[in-house]
Amino acid sequence: VNLQMDGDSSTTDASQLGITGEYGHYVLQSQDDESLNDHEDGGVKENYREQDIYLPIANVARIMKNAVPQTGKIAKDAKECVQECVSEFISFITSEASERCHQEKRKTINGEDILFAMSTLGFDMYVEPLKLYLQKFREAMKGEKGIPGVAVGESLGDELTDDSFTNPLPAGIITADGQSQNVMVYTTSYQQIPTVQQIQFS
Amino acid sequence: MVNLKNKIEQSNKKNISLPISRVRLIMKSSPDVSSINQDALFLTTKATELFVQHLAVSSFNNGSGKETNSLSYSDLANTAEETETFHFLTDILPKKILARDYLKSLEQMQEEEADY
Repeated sequence: VNLQMDGDSSTTDASQLGITGEYGHYVLQSQDDESLNDHEDGGVKENYREQDIYLPIANVARIMKNAVPQTGKIAKDAKECVQECVSEFISFITSEASERCHQEKRKTINGEDILFAMSTLGFDMYVEPLKLYLQKFREAMKGEKGIPGVAVGESLGDELTDDSFTNPLPAGIITADGQSQNVMVYTTSYQQIPTVQQIQFS
Repeated sequence: MVNLKNKIEQSNKKNISLPISRVRLIMKSSPDVSSINQDALFLTTKATELFVQHLAVSSFNNGSGKETNSLSYSDLANTAEETETFHFLTDILPKKILARDYLKSLEQMQEEEADY
C-alpha cells in the first residue's frame, strides 16, 4: 500500500489520494488537523469535470439550514461538500435521462425522462411530489395570457432563458441568480396539497 | 421529528430558491445532451432542492448530529456509504482517516488473517 503523507487534502479524488480496498475509499487526513477541511474550492482541479460547475453555495446552504433543526449547525466543509454532491446528482439524473431519450431516438430531454431517471436511480420518493409541483407550475404558466412563445412541452424548444420564467407568472417567479423575490410559484388559487408535504427523509 | 417535518413543509411553501440557469448549465455539461425542455429543467431544479433537504436530514439524523446538533463532513460521508440511495456519492465523499488509524486496523486485520 502506498501511503501518501502530505497534508494536502484539497482534493476529494479518492483515486489520487485514497486507499481503496477492503475498507472502501479513504483519504488521508493530516495528523494535526482533526477538525479541518477547508475545501478551498475555488480550487484548481487539473482535469475539467462536469461536476466542476456548482450551484451557489449560499442557496445550497440555505436549503440545508431550513432542513435541519433550527438550532443545528452545519460545518463549512459539509456545505461545500453538499454543493459538490448536488452537481453530481444533477449529472447523475441527466445522463440517465439523456440515455433514455437517445434510446427512443429523441433529441430533447423532457419531463418524463427526468421522472423516469429518478425512479430508476432510487429517487422514486421524489416522483409524486414533483408531479404535483409540475402541475402547479404548468397551471401558473397557462394562467398568464398574452405572452407569446411560452408553451409547456416540446414546442418550447431548447434555448430557455430566465426571461421566459420571469414574465408570465403573475403570482410567482422562479428566481434567477441572486434575485430573491418572495413570491410563490403558484396561482392565487393554490391550495396546499397535504400529500406533498409527506416526505419523510429520516 | 415533528420539527423536521415542519421545516420541510415550510421550505416547500417558498418559491424555488435555486438558479435555473445554473442547473441548466450543469445539465448541459453532461455528454450527449442536446436540448432540455422546460418541464425537465423545472423538475430537475425542484428535485435538486428535495435532494439537498433529503441528504441534509438523513446525514444529520444518521450521524452524530443528534447529540452534537451539528452536521459535519463525516456525517455526509457515512450516510453516502450506508444509504443505498446515496451510494453514487461515495467517490466524491471519501471518508477521512488518520494514517495511524489505518495502519492500526490494517495490522489487526493481518493478525486476524494469520489465525486462519
